Amino acid sequence: MMTRTLVSLFGLSLAISITLYWSLTAGAVDIPLQTVLNTLFDLDGEQQQFIVNRSRLPRSLIAIVTGGALALSGVIIQALLRNPLASPKIVGINSGAALAVLLATLLLPSLPPVWLPLIAGVGGVIAAGIVYLLAELRSVSAARLALVGIAVGMTADAGVDFLLVTADSYAVSAPLVWLTGSLWGRGWSHLATVWPQLVVLMLACLAMAHRLDLIRLGDTQAMGLGMNIRVERFALLGLATFLASISVSAVGVLGFVGLMAPHIARKLVGGRHVVVLPVAMLTGALLVLLADAAGRSLMPPIEVSAGILSAMFGAPFFIFLLLTTRAERTQ
Amino acid sequence: MTLTATHIGPTVIRRALPVTALLLALVAGGVLSLSTGGRTDVGLWQLFSPDGLAASVLADIRAPRTLVAALLGINLGIAGLVLQAVTRNPLASPSILGINQGAALGLALSLILPGLAGAAQDVMAVAGAIGAGAITFAIAGGFSGKTDPMRLILGGMAVGAFAFATVRFTYTLDDDIARTVVRWTVGDITDIRWPAVNRLAWVAVPGLLAAFALSHRLNLMAMGQDQAQGLGADPRVTLSLGALIAAVMAGVSVTVAGPIAFTGLVVPHLARFLFGEDNRVLVPTTALIGAALMMVADGLSKILTAPIEAPIGVIAALIGAPWFLWQTLRRDAFQ
Repeated sequence: MMTRTLVSLFGLSLAISITLYWSLTAGAVDIPLQTVLNTLFDLDGEQQQFIVNRSRLPRSLIAIVTGGALALSGVIIQALLRNPLASPKIVGINSGAALAVLLATLLLPSLPPVWLPLIAGVGGVIAAGIVYLLAELRSVSAARLALVGIAVGMTADAGVDFLLVTADSYAVSAPLVWLTGSLWGRGWSHLATVWPQLVVLMLACLAMAHRLDLIRLGDTQAMGLGMNIRVERFALLGLATFLASISVSAVGVLGFVGLMAPHIARKLVGGRHVVVLPVAMLTGALLVLLADAAGRSLMPPIEVSAGILSAMFGAPFFIFLLLTTRAERTQ
Repeated sequence: MTLTATHIGPTVIRRALPVTALLLALVAGGVLSLSTGGRTDVGLWQLFSPDGLAASVLADIRAPRTLVAALLGINLGIAGLVLQAVTRNPLASPSILGINQGAALGLALSLILPGLAGAAQDVMAVAGAIGAGAITFAIAGGFSGKTDPMRLILGGMAVGAFAFATVRFTYTLDDDIARTVVRWTVGDITDIRWPAVNRLAWVAVPGLLAAFALSHRLNLMAMGQDQAQGLGADPRVTLSLGALIAAVMAGVSVTVAGPIAFTGLVVPHLARFLFGEDNRVLVPTTALIGAALMMVADGLSKILTAPIEAPIGVIAALIGAPWFLWQTLRRDAFQ
């Protein structure tokens, strides 16, 4: 088990490094490795300050941080709801956060961008709150809960569409690209507004591994082992919501990463959260980094949003889960 | 005689009220849709005093748009009604089952492939709708005899998400049409002219007749698949015919106005609320309610955010998405 975890962690780190290299070199302008290295470490020789340092490096770092955050959020939500179909997007968090951020950008254009992660969090909390309340008040099946989450998400999406098509086109052109889950035009300032919060939340999340194991056993067992289940659930849900919402405030609605990464991680290293959490985090980082780099290099100079690519791969993955999840869980 | 008087009498009165209300709503919707728009000086009175430009605004711009809204309501409403009946699932509708998005994908591919135009686009859209619907039904286990209601809806969502991501992928690669996509993908009928009316009518009329012809079988489906089989109506045949009707009606609607969500979900619910469960009554009334509702939505799309128009699909989603949420919360939705 131990070796398996180490191999997984090492393999994923290696894959992230290779993808990072691809992400820095590929795009509308091909930049050779030597030039990238010259630029990064300020060596002698040809440099590409603008493209590497101002565009590709910050957005790659954003991809890594938000991918990790979305994956951890997915692990928590799947454990809390004991539902393999759950993810931040399915529970409606992503759409709620997107609606809140869009409202804030349109209504308060002078608002400093540092507030956006918090606003996204509020939107996500409201959406998740509705779904979570339902789970608390009535004992609903896993699939039913996913359905309610989708409905909450669709309601928020309808609001987003309404704002997008009615607002004056100048004001929404930037949010429009952002909403499709794209890292286009993301720079150091965007990274600066999200990374401190995300890193703190991710560390907190890694520290919760043991509690997630207990929660996953079921309410009665967890209480028997001395947990205050309500408080714990509340804290974990808040953690998951803020992780996903803050990511949305930086990269828009990137569905399916929070769904896929936890499953891949569990396939790699089994079910214990001490190992699932870090492996899922690296998997999520890899997925978003990969989607961003692939989107840029498929048909340069056109960029395909990372969100589009993740949906094209994630939706069949969801169908696969739906078909293989044991019947009693979807009933 | 007395028997009929006591039995038919209350029924007629009970029906007369909603029917009258429905006809009034239809007229009101038509008037609202015809008399709203960028030029506030144009109204219904141009019908009686035709003066050049204003009359042509009414005849060439507003009238086709109003008719298209009504026909979209009919097509999507009937498609939703038939899907809800054959799947025996109150949450089924063309957009929820991924059929609209499949049609959008077919249409997007036909725009990319050279040499396809006009009727070929309709064929591609309908093929996409049928393909997406078939995949969703397969996920739900429909071809083995028994559909799982949850898998039907969640599978449809995933099929729709995949098809729609692929649509956006196709458009990203073709910059020329990318600009119009946002409005088209939410359902827009701003630039509609008379040819679109013809295309929709050619589908709406046969579709309505086919749905009406099928309505007795749909009633048998409601009794349960085994009973329907026992009464000589193979549920698989009903399912296939119904899905075909829905795919054609929804598919052609998508080529005209984009994938309008939720109309196909809400309209049949309203019809059932007003007129009960008999599909022979529901087919015509669903068509009328769909037409009235979409004409009102078209009017609202021009008024709400004037001078900018909110596409009709967005108005439909603003009404329909909360409705869908409420439906999923209902205790008895899956019993």
